[in-house]
Amino acid sequence: MSCISYYDLRHVTGETTHIDIDNSVVESAGSSFVNVAVLRVLSGHGWGVLQIDNYTPCTGRKFEELLEQACRLANITEEKVILGDVPHGILPVPPVKEDPYEVPLEEKSALLAAIEKGARSPGIVNTRANYIERVEHVNFSDSSGNEYTYRMTRSGFNVLAVASRNGDLQMGYEREHSIHGFNLRHQEDIGKNAAETAIALLDAGAPKGGKLRAVLDPELAGVFAHEAVGHASEGDLIHEGSSVLKGRTGEKIGNEILSIVDDPGLCEFGFDPVDAEGVAVTRTEIIRKGVIHAFLHNRESLAAVGNGIAGHARAMPGEPPLVRMSNTFIEAGDATEEEIFAECKNGIFLKGSRGGQVDPGRGIFQFNAEYGYLIENGECTRMVRDVSLSGEILTTLHGIVLCGNRRVMSPGYCGKGGQSVPVSDGAPHVLLNDAVVGGSGLD
Amino acid sequence: MRWWVAVDWIDELIREGTKNVDEVEVYYGEGTSVSADLKKRTVHLATNSVECGFGIRVIHKGRIGSSSSSNPGQWRECLAAAIASAKLATPQPWEGLPVPATLPEVPGSYDSSMKIEPECARDLLSRMLEGAEAHPAEVTSGSAGLSRVEVTLANSNGVRYTDRHTGVSLSLEAIQKQSTGYEFDHAWSLAMVDPVTVGERATFFAKSSSEGVDIETGDYDLLLSPLAYAELLGGVFVPALSGRSVHAKRSRLGEFLGKSVACEQVSMYDAPHMPGPGGCTAWDAEGTPTRRTDFVRDGVLQCFAYDLKTAYRYGKASTASAVRGGSNGLPSIGHHNFVVDGVRDTVDDARVLYVHNLVGAHTANPLSGDFSVELSNAFWMEGGEFTSPVRSAMFSGNVFDLHHGIAGMSRKSRTIGSLVLPSIKINQQHIIGK
Repeated sequence: MSCISYYDLRHVTGETTHIDIDNSVVESAGSSFVNVAVLRVLSGHGWGVLQIDNYTPCTGRKFEELLEQACRLANITEEKVILGDVPHGILPVPPVKEDPYEVPLEEKSALLAAIEKGARSPGIVNTRANYIERVEHVNFSDSSGNEYTYRMTRSGFNVLAVASRNGDLQMGYEREHSIHGFNLRHQEDIGKNAAETAIALLDAGAPKGGKLRAVLDPELAGVFAHEAVGHASEGDLIHEGSSVLKGRTGEKIGNEILSIVDDPGLCEFGFDPVDAEGVAVTRTEIIRKGVIHAFLHNRESLAAVGNGIAGHARAMPGEPPLVRMSNTFIEAGDATEEEIFAECKNGIFLKGSRGGQVDPGRGIFQFNAEYGYLIENGECTRMVRDVSLSGEILTTLHGIVLCGNRRVMSPGYCGKGGQSVPVSDGAPHVLLNDAVVGGSGLD
Repeated sequence: MRWWVAVDWIDELIREGTKNVDEVEVYYGEGTSVSADLKKRTVHLATNSVECGFGIRVIHKGRIGSSSSSNPGQWRECLAAAIASAKLATPQPWEGLPVPATLPEVPGSYDSSMKIEPECARDLLSRMLEGAEAHPAEVTSGSAGLSRVEVTLANSNGVRYTDRHTGVSLSLEAIQKQSTGYEFDHAWSLAMVDPVTVGERATFFAKSSSEGVDIETGDYDLLLSPLAYAELLGGVFVPALSGRSVHAKRSRLGEFLGKSVACEQVSMYDAPHMPGPGGCTAWDAEGTPTRRTDFVRDGVLQCFAYDLKTAYRYGKASTASAVRGGSNGLPSIGHHNFVVDGVRDTVDDARVLYVHNLVGAHTANPLSGDFSVELSNAFWMEGGEFTSPVRSAMFSGNVFDLHHGIAGMSRKSRTIGSLVLPSIKINQQHIIGK
């Protein structure tokens, strides 16, 4: 078909296994099957995209009919899309120590039950554990002759403990998700950790909101990098004009100690061996020594915006690719944890993450810690709960004045455009001056 | 409406399944949707999605197993997976899947005039852009989507129900300097959405929120828009009405049956037969005939929501509250059209801080209800008019406690997803300024 300047097809098949144990009852355990494809066509103007459930690979006239359907969609588009020149290639998928797919469901269920049982203790009124395993076979091909095939397995579990006293409910929550293989063995203590957090939170106070010095643990500092910087550096948002970072390449927005990176090739939970457009993945330094250095791009935003690196297109099975983060982190510095707490002296230590959100156009972000402690004279004292942090992207980063010397990554999922993809966020401990902390406490 | 569209493989699946298990249920959905997306003011992408999927549940001696797939040709493998799944599940009291029943007459949620065509989506975008011209702000992105789906529920007790739904959804984002505006609309009928107003409101909020003023930390009277209220209600209060959460002791409302959970003027109910919103249905996701369920009447908690599984386990009756998350989703407790109602009045005469939207509401503590969120498109309002925008502030509180402080409800309601909500006025709420 002469009108087509480009097409690509991403076909994903696979199996999802889940187990849900709630208060020692196996509520559900089993497998479901996935078979979805996305065909994208550039024809004259913009994109025509077909999303197909239950796709059967085809060639010849049948495939041409699909291309024609996509062309008809593209006919209503007006924007002339240009794709940037990019390197292609695929990384090897890291080998797994034990393939979860090979472990019988009965054994998985018994191991998860032991984790859930570990969370049961006096004062705990509910325990719940979930296991999720996704095996995906990905086949990518495009009209330029690029073809990639790989198999990825992601698996892991969550455990929740709920403590109750006089009508007050508090929860402790732990999770472990991995691309490195089956991880349910020898994890009983994780349930116990969730229970201890839940019970301790019953006695925690609500913090008084206001501007404070804050120490963020690696998990929360990672979410900070993701929400405050990562989304605003996504090339599609820069292109459409809905990011405060647009046109600011080379501008200093943080201290010299601050570097923020996204690296889909890092073997963490957000790993992709090749991006969803068949582009080779590579490390992108979004902020280098406090200066805006490079944006995250797909092929289209690379051509339209520049100032960045492609290879950041990601997609849920059956969905069109979007510019997304993968493994996002603040680079480690050279401060010890002791130095960070001593420098903070009086403030708040925020731990864990309940997620966050950003309005990249307005440059405002918000995220929530699972809990925290007041810091008095450099020491953690009273536990506090339901602490959130918000701020403005262009001013808050200057407040990061110390970065610890040990980076830790945490797995999670990120939502954008109705799609949820696996990511990891990480950082060392960081000290943030003038943090705007939300809380309903009065003293 | 109740009729049966012959789907031979489903009958065969049920026959095959009942050779090995007591009961079999199949939920099958197929549909098509189109959407068109804007990048700035030009159409950038058009999508057509052809969807199909099914979910199987089998029940054998009180053990419930499940599986799903997007490939009907794979039903034998899927059935085997569901039966294997049941062997692992903990057995529970079970009194059977529904039998065929006389279903209530309900308003439809199917617009036969809706064309699922890319040109229709493009026309909707054009009308949003036309509305956006009303205020000086740049459009950054937008989307218009049209969908049609047909769902079928069949079980081994002879239930064969089929239903059809259509949907249209619109959204537009705009920016002026560093001030953003967002508006959306959705309905089951094309005649019920107003693309011009969606465009106008998006650029209005972007333009009107620029050059906002700071606010001092303190307690203020707030007016939460239906959108802002939905963010807090939907993530915390509504899930706490689930019978499963209550019996698992994960609900703060668990001990409040017959007690006050909100101001006297507040009622909350599920209205699956209410004309207008898109959740109208005569049967829930398990085939139980639907009816209105009053959760909160005049501020007092009346009941919780149950599906069959939770009801049988705890000796209750299903409230026909089973819903599914898509064609191949399994049933769970939810609602159809969740309405907050009560005494309506003018709520914007006296000076209030109007909050159109929130950033980060999903980070609220789902159990305790404590939250601390960033305001979005907030304004001082007096005499029904916006006076000046507020630049940036945080709002901290507790979703459950907030319902005891509702001082008024607007005369009009708005449908946000499956929630039908008024704006609510709540006095003396804690705001943290910058």
